[in-house]
Amino acid sequence: MYVYIYDNFLRQPKHASVVKAMEVRLTDYGIAGKILRFNNYTDAKPIIDDEIKRGAKTVVIVGNDATLGQVLSRGATCDCIFGFLPVGPDNSIAEVLGIPIGVEACDVLSKRRKERLDVGWMNSRYFVSQLHVLPSKVEVIYDERFKVSAQDKMEVIVCNLKPFYWKSDPKDKVSRVVHPQDGKLEAFLRPLTRKRWWGYKYEDPSIFPFEEMEIYAKEPFTVEADGKTSKEIKVKIKLARNKVEMIVGRNRKF
Amino acid sequence: MIFQKASPRIALGNSEDLMDGVAEAPNFTDDEVETIVGPSVHVEGDFASQGNIVVKGSVSGSVTTSRHLTVEQGAKITANVKAGSARIAGEVKGNMKVKESLELTSTAKILGDIDVKILTVEPGAALYGKLTMPGVDLGEVKAMRSGRGAGRKAEEVSGVAVV
Repeated sequence: MYVYIYDNFLRQPKHASVVKAMEVRLTDYGIAGKILRFNNYTDAKPIIDDEIKRGAKTVVIVGNDATLGQVLSRGATCDCIFGFLPVGPDNSIAEVLGIPIGVEACDVLSKRRKERLDVGWMNSRYFVSQLHVLPSKVEVIYDERFKVSAQDKMEVIVCNLKPFYWKSDPKDKVSRVVHPQDGKLEAFLRPLTRKRWWGYKYEDPSIFPFEEMEIYAKEPFTVEADGKTSKEIKVKIKLARNKVEMIVGRNRKF
Repeated sequence: MIFQKASPRIALGNSEDLMDGVAEAPNFTDDEVETIVGPSVHVEGDFASQGNIVVKGSVSGSVTTSRHLTVEQGAKITANVKAGSARIAGEVKGNMKVKESLELTSTAKILGDIDVKILTVEPGAALYGKLTMPGVDLGEVKAMRSGRGAGRKAEEVSGVAVV
């Protein structure tokens, strides 16, 4: 049995036609199911657990990167198969998973090509897309072997599924992109150096693939992971292997 | 990472089209760049990687990789280095053990012993230390040092060498 978790933004009229077309396509394939509406304050885990008790085998997330991150970060431990139907903008993870945006995603879902995926573990929660430490004076220890530091502030981005886009200068028209690699988490460190008079300038990023890392600072720093922000003084990040079983497309990038 | 299969299509590239937040396929580089130590970053400790390493900042402790190590101009390594192959354009203070080929560019500065199979040195590179290459019989070297050696298949250099 299929259960569909719709993000709240899909209520907007501009998405109505795509959602309608998807529902028709899913009915054609015979995989239509119960629809649940999801908003920012909903915890996905109890909802998914309830549906599993009622017989759900596949939970399909309908929305964008934020929806996928929000649901999977909570529901990673649930015993079911996850699917994803990307709708609208901000859907860079769909490309990585090989799922086309819009109605064609239903075709991928119907083929049920399953892969076990790794997720990141940060302090006491999972993250699926990206973890972002806003610029602050932090130090990073990798795999308990070596320490990375910068002279001033440093921004840390840990990519799991979501590629990392960056510009060396805000005026740059062309964005650079770093695509996640396989088997490990990737940390991108961007030190900031002071400009001559005021403000900061980003340096080129350092890239370290790792399985375990610790970020710590003397003062609390802000951490964003899958849309959830918190203040931390020490963050331990690990890789949880084969945690989530997900339906992916043939054109996936892994 | 969330991926299980190895993919050679990795790393840094430029994406010119980021319309609607959906990235077009970027220009993947063929080099399997795995670890990059950027400028103004300092790494301290046993820095080891199974993939290629590019150093643009500074490293102290030890550096180990089974694959290619690139030390760019302006980078500084104060550590013993073990690598599959290497290209040095910066400064290395420490002993180097390179399995295959080592390339020293004109801006390279090495203070330490080198153990390598194939060495390429550009004019202007500075080296202070002992150079050891495989295929040299130790007895032959001793004989050469005592002034009796004739043929010199491989070299062992002590002292300052600015090529």
